[in-house]
Amino acid sequence: MKFKTILILVAIALILGAISIWVGQISYSWLPPQASAESKLVDNLFSFLVTLGTFIFLGVTGTVMYSVLFHRAGRYDLSDGPHIEGNVTLEVVWTAIPFLLVLWIAVYSYQTYQEMAIRGAHMHMPEAIEPAYAKPIDKSIEPMTEIEVEAKQWAWIFRYPEQNVTSTELHLPVDRRAHLILRSPDVIHGFYIPAFRVKQDIIPQQDMDFEFTPIRQGKYRLRDSEYSGTYFAAMQADVVVESKEDYQKWLAEAARKMPSAAPNQAASEYAQREEKAATAGWATIIPVPAPMVNYHPASK
Amino acid sequence: MTTLEPVIEKERLHQSSHAIAHEHEHDEAGNSMFGFIVFLLSESIIFLSFFAGYILYKTTTSNWLPPGVEGLEVRDPTINTVILVSSSFVIYIAERYLHNKNLWRFRFFWLLTMAMGSYFLYGQAVEWQSLKFGFTSGVFGGTFYLLTGFHGLHVFTGVLLQGIMLIRSFIPGNYEDGQFGVEATSLFWHFVDVIWIILFILIYVWQ
Amino acid sequence: MTQIAPEKPQTEAHSHEQPLSWRRYFSFSTDHKVIGIQYIVTAFFFFLLAGIFAMIMRGELVTPPIDLVDRTVYNALFTMHGTIMLFGWTFPVLAGLANYLVPLMIGARDMAFPRLNAVAFWMVPVFGFLFLFSFLVPGGPAQAGWWSYPPVSVQNPSGEWLNGEFLWLLALTLSGVSSIMGAVNIVTTIVRMRCPGMSWFKMPVLVWTMLAAQIIQLFGLPALTAGAVMLMCDLSFGTTFFDPAQGGDPVLFQHLFWFYSHPAVYVMILPVFGIFSEVFPVYARKPLFGYKVVAVSSFIIVALSAVVWVHHMFASDTPGWMRMLFMFSTMLISVPTGIKVFAWVATIWGGKLRLDTAMLFALGGLINFVFSGITGIMLSSVPVDIHVNNTYFVVGHFHYVIYGAIVFGIYAGIYHWFPKMTGKMYYEGLGKLHFWLTFIGTTLNFLPMHPLGLMGMPRRVASYDPEFAFWNVVASIGAFLLGMSTIPFILNVVASWIAGKKAVDNPWRAIGLEWLVSSPPDVENFEEIPIIVSEPYGYGKTEPLTENMGG
Repeated sequence: MKFKTILILVAIALILGAISIWVGQISYSWLPPQASAESKLVDNLFSFLVTLGTFIFLGVTGTVMYSVLFHRAGRYDLSDGPHIEGNVTLEVVWTAIPFLLVLWIAVYSYQTYQEMAIRGAHMHMPEAIEPAYAKPIDKSIEPMTEIEVEAKQWAWIFRYPEQNVTSTELHLPVDRRAHLILRSPDVIHGFYIPAFRVKQDIIPQQDMDFEFTPIRQGKYRLRDSEYSGTYFAAMQADVVVESKEDYQKWLAEAARKMPSAAPNQAASEYAQREEKAATAGWATIIPVPAPMVNYHPASK
Repeated sequence: MTTLEPVIEKERLHQSSHAIAHEHEHDEAGNSMFGFIVFLLSESIIFLSFFAGYILYKTTTSNWLPPGVEGLEVRDPTINTVILVSSSFVIYIAERYLHNKNLWRFRFFWLLTMAMGSYFLYGQAVEWQSLKFGFTSGVFGGTFYLLTGFHGLHVFTGVLLQGIMLIRSFIPGNYEDGQFGVEATSLFWHFVDVIWIILFILIYVWQ
Repeated sequence: MTQIAPEKPQTEAHSHEQPLSWRRYFSFSTDHKVIGIQYIVTAFFFFLLAGIFAMIMRGELVTPPIDLVDRTVYNALFTMHGTIMLFGWTFPVLAGLANYLVPLMIGARDMAFPRLNAVAFWMVPVFGFLFLFSFLVPGGPAQAGWWSYPPVSVQNPSGEWLNGEFLWLLALTLSGVSSIMGAVNIVTTIVRMRCPGMSWFKMPVLVWTMLAAQIIQLFGLPALTAGAVMLMCDLSFGTTFFDPAQGGDPVLFQHLFWFYSHPAVYVMILPVFGIFSEVFPVYARKPLFGYKVVAVSSFIIVALSAVVWVHHMFASDTPGWMRMLFMFSTMLISVPTGIKVFAWVATIWGGKLRLDTAMLFALGGLINFVFSGITGIMLSSVPVDIHVNNTYFVVGHFHYVIYGAIVFGIYAGIYHWFPKMTGKMYYEGLGKLHFWLTFIGTTLNFLPMHPLGLMGMPRRVASYDPEFAFWNVVASIGAFLLGMSTIPFILNVVASWIAGKKAVDNPWRAIGLEWLVSSPPDVENFEEIPIIVSEPYGYGKTEPLTENMGG
């Protein structure tokens, strides 16, 4: 009898485990494309958490549902259930196991974090930790790209100081550690590229160092992730990851262009709103005028 | 509702617990004092938050003092501090006299406490007037006036409470239901004092 | 006790109850039971109101571009939705349940400070009015989110002195004062007013969790108040505490804010843990599994809740060591919480379950809570959080906590104690309809937010990229369903309160002091102060709960 119970429990655990691993594998598809070295690390950790979480969720709700289905009182059964006040062994087990799981998750998260080597502000020092490259790249051949990012209500402006190029589209060479300096003159903004799984709040009046490594060519979305006022949702920009040659070509072409006004959703929406005398909205901070940059999507 | 089984030792429990029940019903002053202490503990967190903010600003701000300000004068605030701290002992003496039912001496020392508290407020007003910076002079001015002002508000409240207690001491039979009001006011006064000592160290001593 | 047939007319003995005049619910009553119901009904009004705000927002989000309301209106709506749901609904409704139940459960005639209690309640309509009034001032209500992070919150585009943000801060401070009054009252009542024989380990878990929650209010709220005072000075009096352009530090506000506002989640969920712990044993006919451990774990949660707040700021200006430290402390909270969850599951296991509406809501709440706990662990992991922080994943997570677990728990509590509060039975059919609409609505509304967040949709956006359209439509359908789900509830409450079947003293055959008095209880609660002789949850035993009143 007892042996049979154990056997059934083991079988259930195995089935749950299989389902959990399957869901954990599916979980990669819930995320945007893995466009940075960091994204692979984050996704592995997330998949691990989903696997573990599925197992716990199914275990707990399965037990509850079993009780709901099979431990119902009969219509005229007014008797009580067994008087069980507790079980010390069981309670120790379900305190110890979550504690160990938590340690495991914490250690795994810590390792992932170390590998990502995310650098926030306050850390204006050379990298102490080996950054997460998809494939090893010799730093002496490929110096870091250094780009100044300015976030303001409500526009993203990227400046390439070496070429003195400004743009409203962020261009990055593939497979190279990108080094950004994030700045904001007004309020807190959040630098967030979902495909890269990286995010950093930009505290005004500070230079925030930020790094990551794009590994996949394509066009991605940069979004403001810290609520920044009226036109917050419109504060988006495109990020283009391209080969080194294309990147250099783009920089050279952009450097030749005269600055022109870039399309800016906040500014144009505000202008429209001003035209209509009766507006249904309340007062807003006036958006900065459309930024004058060398390159923007309409400048082609 | 029916008791299904007689309880063992029913009688013994019954007697002892009825005595407790009686006590529970009538210890309203005790409840008030307990509640007041809980409130003061909670109130102290506001000051702790301001202190934490002050320490953070002081240690991280690059231009801490506003232009043209060298620092704070310490002599007069020290005199003020001595007076406020001593008033804590005076109010204790007043309380002892009340315990001994010596109402006039209680009133004298109580009034003395009020005078000392009022002098403290006066001293602070004089200091505020002589300062070269205002509430809006950067985070230094902001935290200085916020801390001293918020504390000053508490001193003012304390003096006000003391005034009410003084007037109520003339009501015949005022202390028949205990001396909660006087005890709470006195406790509040000690609290205000302790906060000031920390504040004084943070703002004046640590420059 | 349990052998008594329920049809035995138990109310006959208590025919001397006071006439229930509706007028006293609109008066400055000092009866904790009246105040409790005043709190609950007032809060429910705010719940509906903030729910309407949410439905307008979900209406805007049906399509990607901004087309239904102006952006400023949308921003005001999400700010007021969050604020009113927390300070107008969740805190007051739980204060109401605490007020109603705690004195009854500990065998007291009233709260320790009845007048303070009434003052604390009457501040709720006052600050609620201030929140609503802010819609009428030039510039409209606060539009900085319920976090009200500076510098956005102090930008004050209208330039008016009397602006929405000012009123918001004023109302928030009043709400804080009201909550502190309530907390002092509840803590004093529980510590000092327990009836004879009710030692700490004879208190029902609900009383434990109410005490734990109010202790958090006492140490947490002052920090928020300090932050609010400084923010008010910045907004209206020209100081620069949080203005980075003039030496201020906006991150300090985030610390002060979250030092309270994370524990605030435990202020809300702990009483719901208490409701679960009361409801499961009654409808499973079994004692609460591991009662003492469940009771004590509430205080472990209180202690840990004070040292986790930075996990809201992982993407903010937070150094690496702080991220790691607070990641670990946050994860640790799952241990005492897990103890409770497993204890409830073990309580249900092998019982004699009766799926009345209260039990359905408790079970649904438990399942939702487990789900939100798992996404909570994911969020505590710094690398994952850096991706999903400030996205819809977080919105989904905390709506699963606040709606899926807390509102479900509150509904469970209202159904469970409805006969006691009103003296009437609710209609079981409408109750079950209410449950299923709410459960399906919750799932449709909040589950799609998780994939949206994983895909990278930021929270608080009034417009979004077309790739997010599908899940947003599903979520909006869920939101409208949730709005509908309150209709059977309101119908049920109103109809049964007016014309429902009279409730007996103890319709659920539950063990607890509140079930030993008439439904509704007399003004004085107990004819004679009860004397406790057994632990709570004595199901399956024949020992009486009290010496002098049976049970």
